[in-house]
Parts: sequence; C-alpha cells; structure tokens
Amino acid sequence: MELSDANLQTLTEYLKKTLDPDPAIRRPVYSLTAEKFLESVEGSQNYPLLLLTLLEKSQENVIKVCASVTFKNYIKRNWRIVEDEPNKICELDRIAIKANIVPLMLSSPEQIQKQLSDAISIIGREDFPQKWPDLLTEMVNRFQSGDFHVINGVLRTAHSLFKRYRHEFKSNELWTEIKLVLDAFALPLTNLFKATIELCSTHANDASALKVLFSSLILIAKLFYSLNFQDLPEFFEDNMETWMTNFHSLLTLDNKLLQTDDEEEAGLLELLKSQICDNAALYAQKYDEEFQPYLPRFVTAIWNLLVTTGQEVKYDLLVSNAIQFLASVCERPHYKHLFEDQNTLTSICEKVIVPNMEFRAADEEAFEDNSEEYIRRDLEGSDIDTRRRAACDLVRGLCKFFEGPVTGIFSGYVNSMLQEYAKNPSVNWKHKDAAIYLVTSLASKAQTQKHGITQANELVNLTEFFVNHIQPDLKSATVNEFPVLKADGIKYIMIFRNQVPKEQLLVSIPLLINHLQAESIVVHTYAAHALERLFTMRGTNNATLITAAEMAPFVEVLLTNLFKALTLPGSSENEYIMKAIMRSFSLLQESIIPYIPSVITQLTQKLLAVSKNPSKPHFNHYMFESICLSIRITCKANPEAVGSFEEALFLVFTEILQNDVQEFIPYVFQVMSLLLEMHKNEIPSSYMALFPHLLQPVLWERTGNIPPLVRLLQAYLERGASTIASAAADKIPGLLGVFQKLIASKANDHQGFYLLNSIIEHMPPESVDQYRKQIFILLFQRLQNSKTTKFIKSFLVFINLYCVRYGALALQEIFDSIQPKMFGMVLEKIIIPEIQKVSGQVEKKICAVGITKILTECPPMMDTEYTKLWIPLLQALIGLFELPEDDTIPDEEHFIDIEDTPGYQTAFSQLAFAGRKEHDPVGQMVNNPRIHLAQSLHKLSTACPGRVLSMLSTSLNAEALQYLQGYLQAASVSLL
Amino acid sequence: VRKHSQHMKLFKNKGKDESTLRRQRVEVSIELRKAKKDEQILKRRNISVHLKEENPLGQDEVIIQPSLEEIVEAVNGDDIQLQLLATQATRRILSRHKDPPINQIIELGIIPRMVEFLGRADNAALQFEAAWALTNIASGTSEHTRAVVEGGAIPAFISLLSSPHMHISEQAVWALGNIAGDGPLYRDALIARDVIPPLLALVSPATPVGFLRNITWTLSNLCRNKNPCPPLDAVQKILPVLLILLQHEDKEVISDSCWAVSYLTDGSNDRIQIVVETGILPRLVELMDSPDLIVMTPALRAIGNVVTGTDQQTQEAINAGVLPVLHRLLRHTKPVIQKEAAWTLSNIAAGPSQQIQQIINSGLLAPLVELLDKGDFKAQKEAVWVVANFTTGGTVEQVVELVRSGVLKPLLNLLLAKDSKTILVILDTISNLFLAAEKLGETEKLCLLVEELDGLEKIEELQNHENDMVYRAALDIIEKYFSGEENTDLEPRTGQDGLYDFSVEKQDFNF
Repeated sequence: MELSDANLQTLTEYLKKTLDPDPAIRRPVYSLTAEKFLESVEGSQNYPLLLLTLLEKSQENVIKVCASVTFKNYIKRNWRIVEDEPNKICELDRIAIKANIVPLMLSSPEQIQKQLSDAISIIGREDFPQKWPDLLTEMVNRFQSGDFHVINGVLRTAHSLFKRYRHEFKSNELWTEIKLVLDAFALPLTNLFKATIELCSTHANDASALKVLFSSLILIAKLFYSLNFQDLPEFFEDNMETWMTNFHSLLTLDNKLLQTDDEEEAGLLELLKSQICDNAALYAQKYDEEFQPYLPRFVTAIWNLLVTTGQEVKYDLLVSNAIQFLASVCERPHYKHLFEDQNTLTSICEKVIVPNMEFRAADEEAFEDNSEEYIRRDLEGSDIDTRRRAACDLVRGLCKFFEGPVTGIFSGYVNSMLQEYAKNPSVNWKHKDAAIYLVTSLASKAQTQKHGITQANELVNLTEFFVNHIQPDLKSATVNEFPVLKADGIKYIMIFRNQVPKEQLLVSIPLLINHLQAESIVVHTYAAHALERLFTMRGTNNATLITAAEMAPFVEVLLTNLFKALTLPGSSENEYIMKAIMRSFSLLQESIIPYIPSVITQLTQKLLAVSKNPSKPHFNHYMFESICLSIRITCKANPEAVGSFEEALFLVFTEILQNDVQEFIPYVFQVMSLLLEMHKNEIPSSYMALFPHLLQPVLWERTGNIPPLVRLLQAYLERGASTIASAAADKIPGLLGVFQKLIASKANDHQGFYLLNSIIEHMPPESVDQYRKQIFILLFQRLQNSKTTKFIKSFLVFINLYCVRYGALALQEIFDSIQPKMFGMVLEKIIIPEIQKVSGQVEKKICAVGITKILTECPPMMDTEYTKLWIPLLQALIGLFELPEDDTIPDEEHFIDIEDTPGYQTAFSQLAFAGRKEHDPVGQMVNNPRIHLAQSLHKLSTACPGRVLSMLSTSLNAEALQYLQGYLQAASVSLL
Repeated sequence: VRKHSQHMKLFKNKGKDESTLRRQRVEVSIELRKAKKDEQILKRRNISVHLKEENPLGQDEVIIQPSLEEIVEAVNGDDIQLQLLATQATRRILSRHKDPPINQIIELGIIPRMVEFLGRADNAALQFEAAWALTNIASGTSEHTRAVVEGGAIPAFISLLSSPHMHISEQAVWALGNIAGDGPLYRDALIARDVIPPLLALVSPATPVGFLRNITWTLSNLCRNKNPCPPLDAVQKILPVLLILLQHEDKEVISDSCWAVSYLTDGSNDRIQIVVETGILPRLVELMDSPDLIVMTPALRAIGNVVTGTDQQTQEAINAGVLPVLHRLLRHTKPVIQKEAAWTLSNIAAGPSQQIQQIINSGLLAPLVELLDKGDFKAQKEAVWVVANFTTGGTVEQVVELVRSGVLKPLLNLLLAKDSKTILVILDTISNLFLAAEKLGETEKLCLLVEELDGLEKIEELQNHENDMVYRAALDIIEKYFSGEENTDLEPRTGQDGLYDFSVEKQDFNF
C-alpha cells in the first residue's frame, strides 16, 4: 500500500464502517466485513503508517480516534516477532513507527495519547532497550518542555513501560534494563519531581493548573514505586532525603482547590497520598535499614492523615492503605516504642480504629438494597480493601504487643457504646453494631470458614457478652426490628460457635429457626447459614455436635421455615437456605421421612421452576443434593419407595432432557444412577427404553456430561448386562463406540476405561466375543501413538482385570493373535517397567492378581521364549507390593489436561449424596494378594517340581527373594 | 496446572540433585544497590597523600609543583635529578585525596618512561617514586590499569619484589595487587610471570605487620575472580601460606586471608575440595565467630561458599562446628550478617536428610523462625530459601518438626512480600508442606492451619498477581487443597471441571 491519498481515503471509509452501529454493515454475513477487510490489508507495507497519518491528520475526530484504536490493536497483534513465524511488520515500517510515535503521542489529544501510549509500551516490551535505544532520551528531553500535557504523556508511557518491574523475577536482563533506565531517568525524574512541587506552590491558587500538576505527581510517585521495587537503587538511596521529605510534606498537604465534591470517586489528592503510603510501605518493608530515620515521621503523618480524613467512600482506598501501613509497622519489634505510650494507644483506638468501624450510610444501603454483595463481603471475607477490615487488622497488629492495654481501652468503648444504645435503641442502634464489631475483631485471633473463630482473646468474655447482649436481641418477639443488629447477633453465634458452650447453642437454635422468617434477606440468610454451620460442628467420636435427637422437637418448624424462606422476596434461589436444607436432611436422617411427600413435591416444583433459567449454580447443586438425600434416606428404610420417587421426578427429568437444559443434565444422570442402583432386581423397562438415547453422540460431545453418563452406563451394566445382551444386542457396537470416542481423548481416556472395565466385568463373555480383538487393537494404537502415564496406568489395570476375568491364557492368546510375540512385547515394554506407576489400593490389587495369574496359570510362560520374562515379571510384582509408588510424570505431560479439554463451561459437579460405593472386583476372590501369590506359586511348583525353585535361586535378586520367602511363610506353604 | 519451579520438579522427580538445589553465590554483574563498604574489600587501593606525605628527605622545604609540560620534559630528559623531581611531582599529583587526575597523567605518555625508572636499581629514590606513581595509576579504572600493564610494568614490578629495599618491594607488592585485582586476565598474566614465589618469599616472621597486610591483600587479589578461576598450581602454592597467615594476630591480615579463602571457595566443587583438604575449616569456623566484623564477614562468606559444595564438603563444615556458630549469627545485629548466615544455612538445608537433622539438633529452627518473623527483608528472603530447601529434602518427620517450630505464620505473612520470587518460593514451600501432610493424612489439618493464619486469603489474593508463575502456583494450591468445601465426603467439588479431577490416581475404580 502506498502512502497515497487514495489509500487514505479507502482506509477512512472502512474505519468508518467499523463504527457503524448496524452490525450488518460492520459484520455482514456473506460479504467481506470492514473489520475483515482491515485485517486482510494489515500485512501490507505502510499500513501502520497510513493509520498514523490518519490519526494525526484526518479531518474527522472520530476517524482519528478510530485509527488510533485500530493502530494499537494492530501493534498488539503483530509487533512481537515469534520464532519460526514470519515477521508480520516490515522492518522499514518498524523503524518509521519508532521514529514518529513518541512526538505524535505527545502532540495528540488525550484520548489518542492514551492509545499511542499503550502502543508504545507494547513496542517497548519487545524492543526496549536494545532495539529502541533512544526512546528514553527522547522521553527525558520532553521533561524540559514545561508543557505538562506533554510531560504527563511521557510519564504515563514510562509508567506503562516500567510497571512490570513490580512483578517480574530478578534476572540479569531485567536488571540491566532497570540500570539503564535509572541512569537515564532517575535524575531527570527527581528534578521534575522537585520542579513540579515548586510549581504547585507557585500555582497554589490555580485550580486547573494544580490538577495537571497533581496528575504528574501521581505518575511520578507511581514511577518511584516501580523503579524502587526490585532493589534500592544507589541513586534513590543518595536522594532519599529529597524524595522522602517531599513525600512527607505532600502527605500533610491540603488544598481546598483539590477537594472534590464527589463522595464516591477518589480525587487527585487522595490518589497521590494513597500512592505515597504505598511507597512508604515499600521502603518500610524492603529497605528498613536505610528508611529507619524517616519512618517515625511517616507514622505520625499517616496517623494524622487518618484522624483528619472523613467518612466518605472516596477516601476508602487511602484510609485502608494508611491503616494497613500502621498495622504493618506496629508489629515490628523495633518500632514498638512508637506506639507503646498509653496516650498514643488511646488516641489510635479512639481516632483511627473506632471511627472506621462505624456502620456507614453506604453499608446500610448495601444491607438493604444489595444484600448479596453485603453478605459476600461480610461473611466470606472478601472485604480486604474495606475500612472495617483494615481497622480490624490494626487491632490485631496492636494486640501483638499490647493486647492488655488495647483490650482495656476498647472495653471502655464497648461499654459506653452499649450504654448509648440502651438509652435510645431506635436512634442509637449503630452504636451497638459498632460495639459488636469491636468485640468481634478484638476477640478473634484466628478464624476459618469451617470452625469460625479458632483462637480467641482470653481477655474478652465471649459467653457473657453473648448472654447479656446478643441473645436478648434474638429473643425479641419482633423478628423484623433492627435487622442489622439481628444480623450481627446471628453472625456472632456463627463465628463464635466454638467458644460459646453447647447449651447456649441449643438455646439459640429455635431463635435461629424463628429468624428464617425475617423479611430482611441478610437476616434470614444468616439464620440459614448459622444453622447450617451449627449442624456441621463435630462433637465427640467425630459425630455431629448437635444430634438428631436434640433436634427432634424442631424438625417440623425447621423444615417449614426453611421452605417458607425460599418464598420470601429475593430469596427464591438462595443458596444458603438450600444448603441449610441439604444439611438438615443429612443431620435429621430418618426423622424427615414423614415430611418427604411434601418436601419432594416442593423440591420438584422448585426444580421445574429454576430449570427454565438456571442461574445459581450453588443453589442448584444443593437442590440436587437434597433430592439425592431424600431418595437415600427414604429408600434405605423402604426400598420399594424408589418407584414413587421415579414417578415424582421423571416428569421433570424428561422435560429437562427434552429442553436440553445443559446445566442440569449431568445432575439428572447422577440422580438416575442413584435411582437405578436402588433397584435390587432386573433393570426396569422404563430405563431400558432410555438406553439407546444415552448412546447419542451429541450427549458425549459435552465434557460435563461424560463423567455422569459413564457412571450411569456403568449402573446399567451392573444391573442389566444380561438384559442388554439379550434385548439390546444391536446397541453393543454403539456402546463400544462411546468407549472408542472416550479412549481417543487424552483427557477422557480414563472414563473410557471405566466403561470398558464395566463391560468386561459384567457383560456375558459371548456377547462381546466378536469385539474383543478390536478393543485391544484400539488400545494398542493409542499405546503406540500417544501414550501418556494416565493411559498406561488405566491400560495396566484393564489388561489385568481382563486376565482375572478371562484367564491368563486367554490374554496371551488374544495378544499373540493380533501380532506374533505381542504378549512378550507388552510384558517386557509395558507391564514390567511401568507396573510401579499403578496407584490406588483396588487397582494395585487387580494388577497383583492378574500378574499372579500370568506367572502361574499361563503355560507359555513356562515353556516358550516367554520364560525369560518370568523372573523379571515376578520381580516387578514384588516391587509393586513393596516399593513406593513411582509417581514421576514425564515433563511434556504436565499440560495435557488443559490442552485436550474443550473448555470449562460445562463443568461437571459431582453430587456427594449420589456417590457410589467403592467396588472391588477381585475382593471376593482374593483377600491378601501376597498370600495369593504364595499359594499360586506353590500350586505351580507342585505341577512342575523343581522348575520354580531353580528359576528363583538362579536369577531373582536377593532382596526380592527375601520378601517372597516372607509371603511363603505367611501363607504357610513351601515350594517344591 | 502448575508450572513447576526447579525445586518442585526436583522434588516431584525424586532424583534430587543437590548441586542444583544449592545456590552458589552468583557473581551479580548487575547491581542496583550502592556498594557497601563492609561487604567487600576494594579491588584496588590507592595510596593517598595523607598516609605517606612526608618528604622522604625529611626536609622542611616548600615544594614547588612543576607544570605538566615541565614534568613531561623532565621525565623524558636525561637529568637524573630532574627525573626524580618530576616523578615525585607526578606521584604527588596522583596521591591527591580526591579525584586524582589519572587520565591526564596517562595522556602525557610518560608511563613507559616510569616503567623504565623501575629498573634503575642504582637510584632507589627514583625507583620508589616511579613505583608509587604507577601504583596509583593502576588503582584507577580498568582502563588505567591497562595503561600501566601495557607500559610493560608487570615484569618490572615482579623483579622489584626482590629489591633489597623493603619500602620498594612493598611498593611493588602494592602495585601488583592493583594489577591482579583488575580481573582474571591480568591476574593470570602475573601468575604466568611467576609472581607467586618471590611474593611468598616476602612472608616471614620478621615481616612488619604493615607490609604483611599488603602482601596478604595482594595474595587475596591473586585468588580473586572467576571465569576462569586462578590456575590450580598457583592456588596450591598460595594455600599453605594462607594457612599460616590465618593464624596471625593482626585482624587485617586475617581478614584479607579469609577473603582470599572465600574467593578460592567461590567456584566449582573441585575448587572447594582443594581448600577443604587443607584442613582449614575448623579455623574458618572459629573466625566466623570472631567479634570483629572484618574477620567474621569473610570467614562466613568462605564457609558459606564451602557448603554450596558436595554433601561431603558440607559435612566437613558441619563437623567443623558451623551450626552452633550460625545459631548465633542468625541473631546478629547486622542484617547483612543475618542474611549471609541464612544463605549459608539454606545450602546446608539443601543437603540430605541427615544434615537437615543436624540443623534441627543444633536448635537452629528457633532462630530461623525468628528471622523469618522479624528479620530484615534481605535476611527474610534467605530464610525463606532455608525453609524451601528444608521442605524439599527433609523427611516427613523433619517437616513436621519444622511446622511445629512455628514456621508457618511468618512464612505465610511473607506472602505479602514485595518480591515475586520470594512469593513463588513460599508457594512452592507450601506445596511441599501439603505433600508431607498428604502422606500423613493431615491435609485437612494443614488447610485449617493455613486458613487460620490468614494464609488462605493471601493465597487467594495471589491469584490476581501479575506474575504468571506466581498466579499459577497460587491457583494450583487453591484448586488442589482449598476448592472443595469443608467436608470432602459431603460437599460438592464445585467450580471444578470433572475431567480435570477424574484422574486415575485419585478416583477408585468403578467397574
């Protein structure tokens, strides 16, 4: 493409089209789209230069912007030169771009400047510094321009170039670059910093100038952070005075002109101070020795900053950064003295911690209108950046050295806040909220989701507080009064459940059940969650702390309220409630049976309703778990009941399958597996009718379906192998087709083996006779072309299972019928060297029994050329018994799962309560495989006296022989 | 999916190769930091005026400084008296305390002439002045040293070592030290010219301490630098003398001798072996415990280098009693000493489990945990390596012992460190801990412990880390150990694709 007006015109046209809101023009289906056209010409020489010309000279602003975005994306896609791939941008264009882009960026309006700045940093990432040596000088020279629009452009570009220093590993290459940058950049940056600060005081009354200058200061402070991240550079150590003195004074600076009215968005001043806190924290953490002289000043400044900063949301980041700085410093032994004065502590508690624990208007809003977010933050600890959280961390930091005094100071506060509340609860309820929060943060030293608080401050009497201040609120007749305090109280039970004595928990249970009816989403959600947590607590003997017997009086009201809570506005798909339902079922067991008819109706209705648009994966999951539990608990007591469940569920299941509700199908298969396994006799015809449909390839294309479908087919084979062989023999190829499909994938081959193993174990031998050879050929092909450790492990288990089922001779014969001497090759190349990799008790046992059979029940092993493998095979078997598992995996296999799996979308979630028992196919046959080996060898030696002993004594290694003698002794047999 | 770090891979594959686990002191060619005076002795030394500015004749006359032109003329002229005065003047200029104008003097082109003066055995004063001047030129940059060498000074200085005048041979020692300190090239040029025998001959019980210090320093420079290391036969010659010098009473002599040994041990295992075989280790360990920083620092460095060697070499250091000394040094007030001590310990911890057991038996876990908790960041980083190596090579029982000593809390706190590598090493260590916990069937207990100590939320946070390897390592731990909810028997594995989890290893077979 030439740099001609005509080409500029064409490009303009197409750029315009890409902006067209009508997708037909942007992306017409059958003709070349504008975007496609641009991509098709981007390989031409001069294309990027045409874009740069347009973004500079076009008459239309929109084209300028569009050209700049297109240019940046083009650079992003093409600039990197990938080894063994063609260079996508011609060298002349590269040179021209690098020569022009910096001045162009700096002279462009901000919108375009940002795009070009990004483009520069992408280029810089590849070319800087070797292939772009003059970039830095070019940038630094602009510092003298005095034009802060230009300077900010340079700073922004520098920031995007240097910010990677914050996370990359130290390397000679990286440090060479940083050193180069420091040599060229550190001094000019320092001078610019000083000059900018001077200008700030010269222009102290000029709001618009100040805004530009402060934007520069923020970028400068960010650059400082990047350049000082890897190590403390000599230059900055020598100039620490300049930087730190100025940073310090900026922290204390205030200027009315820079204050913003916006309550939410942080202003320039806040952003700058926040970055300075980060810088000080960096130095305090990494360069403590050098920074020590400055640290006390920063502590004071930051603390004053906290005392004077308001409650608005816009200050949140600054405040939490600042508090975190204090929290990290106060834990260090050599700074202890900065905090230990009683007045200091009191003042920190009073002016920094307490105010930041207050329930703010924004919190109240979230509590009411955005309860989901509120719960997430409050319950699940995704509150890392919040003020409350930072204040909490500071409390814990201070407690490291000053637990006594801090607890003392706060106890006073808690009491006075509770008194305030008592005076006028409806006005002062927030005081109580803060008091509860303070007690919580003071008392909790360690916490987990599973157990709540696990270590508490012994100076706080938690039970007393619970009885005096928490229970009364929950006992109040009006569940809807002071919802925030109700939520606080329930949360208190939840997190201190391991500290509060059991009798108090039992007292609380009816209160919690009662609060399931509260209108506030947070309150009834917390109540459900608290119940669920209490039900998972363990008492003695690993049983649940709260027993089904203790719950007996509450079963009905609990179930009623839980299901009613699902009808409250905003909670129709509340995962906490559904989880509490699941947990209640699991705890109450057979005491729920009387309620099952009503429960299963409600659950199926719910299922039908949410299957229209499944949106809450956790809710759905617990719902299916609850269904499984209902089935298990009921059928355990009354196996015949399975029919009524099928009746209730199959209608909805059919609808789900027909409407192809992808999220639910894997669950449906699991529930069906569970139901099918409940049948004791022959497989019902309703299931057989479905069988052909389960083999439909479309189902197997979805990865999420594979595990539950394999599981379901296994259930079919277990219960109905003979029915399939007689009534659906024509479907056997289809069944094996599924196996073939699975075995072809490195990610799914183990599922294929599950299926194959079930076929071999359960199908009548004659029904699969004609396919057996093919099965092995398929497996051998995989083995030859793309074997992986996982495949080999599954393969080994399978052939040994085959050997157990059909006999060693049959195994040898089928191998050798495929190719002469195949059996010996598999023994030598696969079984002997790899058997050590097999893992899992049952799997190892299968292999042990299979190999024992090969050793002792396969005549060719004794009298053909295979005889030479007899001792190595025995040795490998003893190794399998005695050596640690070989869990090495070749390097190239680490990434297999990711590459070969189509995607995460259709995630399969296994239902715990639909799980099946471990199945040991050789369990009845062989109890102890070592003894079994001894006995089998004994039998063999009786059949051919002398042979076995002579082989053993000439070639088995001493250690293995010793083990073997142990087995023989244990089996009380000897060899002849 | 984890991208294994070197350490993890080694662990996984069990074929643990100690030499890769051990981290040799890598000569960092790039340094951002200010060079710290107490950390290393200078490669070159200048003799500045205030040390030696005494009129050699003891006369109190006013010195008239000739111009540079006059100097050139006099040096190149035939008048012996003027030659001396001009050389003296040159020396004086070069001995200026601050920024001596070495370049200017080199540009005068008088170096070859000065070198010639070195050979004037008849004129000791001239020899001395020329030697001093050249010494100071050689003390400048590499460029400056080269000018002296290219002027032919090496043979001249070597023959001056045997000068009957002690002050002249001392000057020669000094000059040769500067040349040797330049780098392996000149060092080996000196060795090839047989500098060692006459230099060693100067060491005797009668040698004055000041002179001995210079000789020791020059010897240390002859041992210094890698790529290549000094020739073996040279090392063999120097070592016996170093052994003697290490017994000297003067701290500076000992210090430089230790530095020399530290250079000799900073290399491949066969180099370390030569030093170990001299039986020097007990003395070095003793010196490591010296109250004098200038002695302790290089002794610690030398021992630190030794334990980068083979298991046997490390064992020799342990047998020499290094562990109890490290116990004290880990608590030293100076952060650099803490750091070096921890680095040394990290390499011992990279050894076989018997050596790890000795670390435990020497009670080193307590100071290690302290350092990890409260040490300076540089030292904390090294302490993290100690723990990482410990958990890689230690037995399950040893790892349990480590956890019992309280390592987890400070280790997890360091996940907030502003250093990606440290974070990654910690994450790998956590994986090691989980592997040990799995073997004990206590995975759940460790999960709870990590969560209690606020480690879980830190690891979760690291899933947002910009560094790809850090993010993957964090993700891997979360997925492996924390993604299931609390009861694996009751709770679903949500968010996980069944396919990823359905490996044969974990799943029992369903037939």
